[in-house]
Amino acid sequence: MTIRPRLTRRAVVAGTGAAVASPWVWTSARAQAGGMIKIGMPLALTGPLGSVGQQQKRGAELYAKLQNEKGGILGRKIELLIEDTVGNPATCVRKAQEMVERYDCRLLTGITLSSEALAIVPKLAEWNAIFISSDNGDGRLTAESFVPNFFRANTSGPMGARVVSLYVKQAKIKSFFALGLDYAWGHNSVQVFEDEMKRLKVNFIGKVFAPTGTKDYSTYITKIRQSGAEGVYLVLAGDDNNAFLAQAAQYQLASKMAMLTEQIELVALRAVGDASVGLIGSARYAFTIDTPANKEFVELWKAEHKTVPDTFEGEQWQCMKVFEAGITKAGGIEADKLRPALEDLTIESVKGKVLMRKCDHQGVQKGFAVKVVKKEGFDHPIPEVISTFPAEQTTPPCNKMTYED
Amino acid sequence: MRWPRALGLAFVALLIAAPFGLPAFAMTLLTELVILGLFAMSLDLMVGYTRLISFGHVAAYGLGAYASGYMLLNTSLPLPFVVILATLLTGVIAIGVGWVCTLATGVSFAMLTLAFAQLLYAIAFKWTSVTGGSDGLAGIPRRAGPMGLTLLTTKTGFYYFALACLIGSFLLCRKLVASPFGAVLRGIRENEAKTVSLGFNTRLYKIAVVAIAYALGGLAGALYAPFAGFANTELLFWLLSGQVLIMVIVGGSGTLIGPILGAAFFLLLEHQLSSVTEAWALFFGLIFIGFVLFAPEGIWGLATGWVKRREKPLAKVRLRD
Repeated sequence: MTIRPRLTRRAVVAGTGAAVASPWVWTSARAQAGGMIKIGMPLALTGPLGSVGQQQKRGAELYAKLQNEKGGILGRKIELLIEDTVGNPATCVRKAQEMVERYDCRLLTGITLSSEALAIVPKLAEWNAIFISSDNGDGRLTAESFVPNFFRANTSGPMGARVVSLYVKQAKIKSFFALGLDYAWGHNSVQVFEDEMKRLKVNFIGKVFAPTGTKDYSTYITKIRQSGAEGVYLVLAGDDNNAFLAQAAQYQLASKMAMLTEQIELVALRAVGDASVGLIGSARYAFTIDTPANKEFVELWKAEHKTVPDTFEGEQWQCMKVFEAGITKAGGIEADKLRPALEDLTIESVKGKVLMRKCDHQGVQKGFAVKVVKKEGFDHPIPEVISTFPAEQTTPPCNKMTYED
Repeated sequence: MRWPRALGLAFVALLIAAPFGLPAFAMTLLTELVILGLFAMSLDLMVGYTRLISFGHVAAYGLGAYASGYMLLNTSLPLPFVVILATLLTGVIAIGVGWVCTLATGVSFAMLTLAFAQLLYAIAFKWTSVTGGSDGLAGIPRRAGPMGLTLLTTKTGFYYFALACLIGSFLLCRKLVASPFGAVLRGIRENEAKTVSLGFNTRLYKIAVVAIAYALGGLAGALYAPFAGFANTELLFWLLSGQVLIMVIVGGSGTLIGPILGAAFFLLLEHQLSSVTEAWALFFGLIFIGFVLFAPEGIWGLATGWVKRREKPLAKVRLRD
């Protein structure tokens, strides 16, 4: 006779209860780790911008691994606290609060969406925490929503829009339509681009915004085609970017107008393949950027991942280098020491020289216009740098999102 | 004293004593649990007692949050007054919502509530000057007052305020469902045609329960905005309507206390699972399926069933004696 285990209601409830309770036990060990430099990363690892969060995670993990092999920073090992926010600001605030209050983690990075960052920054003073952005594009974070404990190591949305507008000036395109994601970053970047076009006397015909997670872009593509513009400016990321580019290729949009985008990511080029060839845009980071630090980083990345790094992997790496330089200069991680150490700090990074300027904590850095091309040795199209713009031209004036020249 | 009351009082005593023993983050989580519990309980009035299934209850939560956030950012009103005003505003708007939605029944009612919530979501996105558009309202303060009272600006003070709102709302709802008004609601739930034939204008009762449920949902939202420090369009997104419905079902509908437990279970499970695995949504779905299949009466039903089963043998022993 065999005895079969019965799945009773009591067993189900007990099992579920144990599952709920057990992580409290596991994570309590995390809080006890002393002497480590804890860096909290509430990331959108799942959801429409999951691919961006995953890049940030990989970028930080490689840095932490290699730096810990060298003994860490100031002799203290780095511990990353990574949590999934699904891109929801409410979850992001809760996860960040947990990192601060439960694990005494006072350094934050990641925070994938600008809407999440905007919810977090008012709390930084109360938490006595420093947040260095590695991807948040919304210009307001270093302008009207600026708080002293926030720093941005990455290229912002307005800076990306500026690079495209500087390119447009060279390319002499006479009219534009814009499509952006319907949240903070999308609105902000389209607004900056619209202002830039008006200043350049380029006809800005109109704009449209798509909610994040849009699967069918056909109605938007029809609207863009009907606008009669010579070019379309895109502010899309993650799954939305992939969906749009794939459908734009089906509708042969590139044969009707120039397609310029605020950011070009390898993940999108891999996903849509040849449909992306010819696309021009700004790259916050590209593995093809020709600097000694970038060449070294790309080799390290290849050794670890057997492929080249993507946009936010490079941006996250740069952000971690800012953390490293700041903590080393401050001699510790306390916010009141680290904040002044980060102000006017200069590092030699993958994108060249980056200055964390004191006035608004924006990383002053070069801008790169890239074109998507097919190249031997790669099984997918890659971004090739076609223009490099100096930091003075691409970075807006202090606490501003718009440009004066 | 009957055991549910004793259990309830012990539970309340634990909640009151919590700030003295729990660390900072556990208190943050507990405050959110209290707010979400209030939100889920408000829906139970409609779902559990009147069988008015709403797919758009998030409208109440979001409306309360935005109203409270806007007033705290743009006026000098003290926090308690803001919360009361936001609650009343949500309740008044809900009279209109209830009037429109109760023109239909069943699935059509549910779809109308969803449509109204989506309408509010779209307005919140587009009315940037008031709602902050896609960014929402950030930096919402816990304003001091009235009369210079600063207690509510502290974490512990705010927790007690939220807890008082939950307990007050629970007592109000319990009184309501035990009253003749509640009897009519149950009549609508069991057989609306029969209730009409008894001479009750059931539509008026339904509008009233929608208004009360939305007002309490608005109260939860009005507390959430100063708790989290922001209000954005995610608080009006349809996904949250589905989640609060799950909280009610998992906790046990038609019990008031069940949805509060369901909200706690939902939040803790989501929070802990997402800490362990990126595929947390998969496990979460499996657990929800498990509940529907093995415990359709919810957490509260399981707990009461367990106590009853333990009481029965004792009763038999007493009879034999």
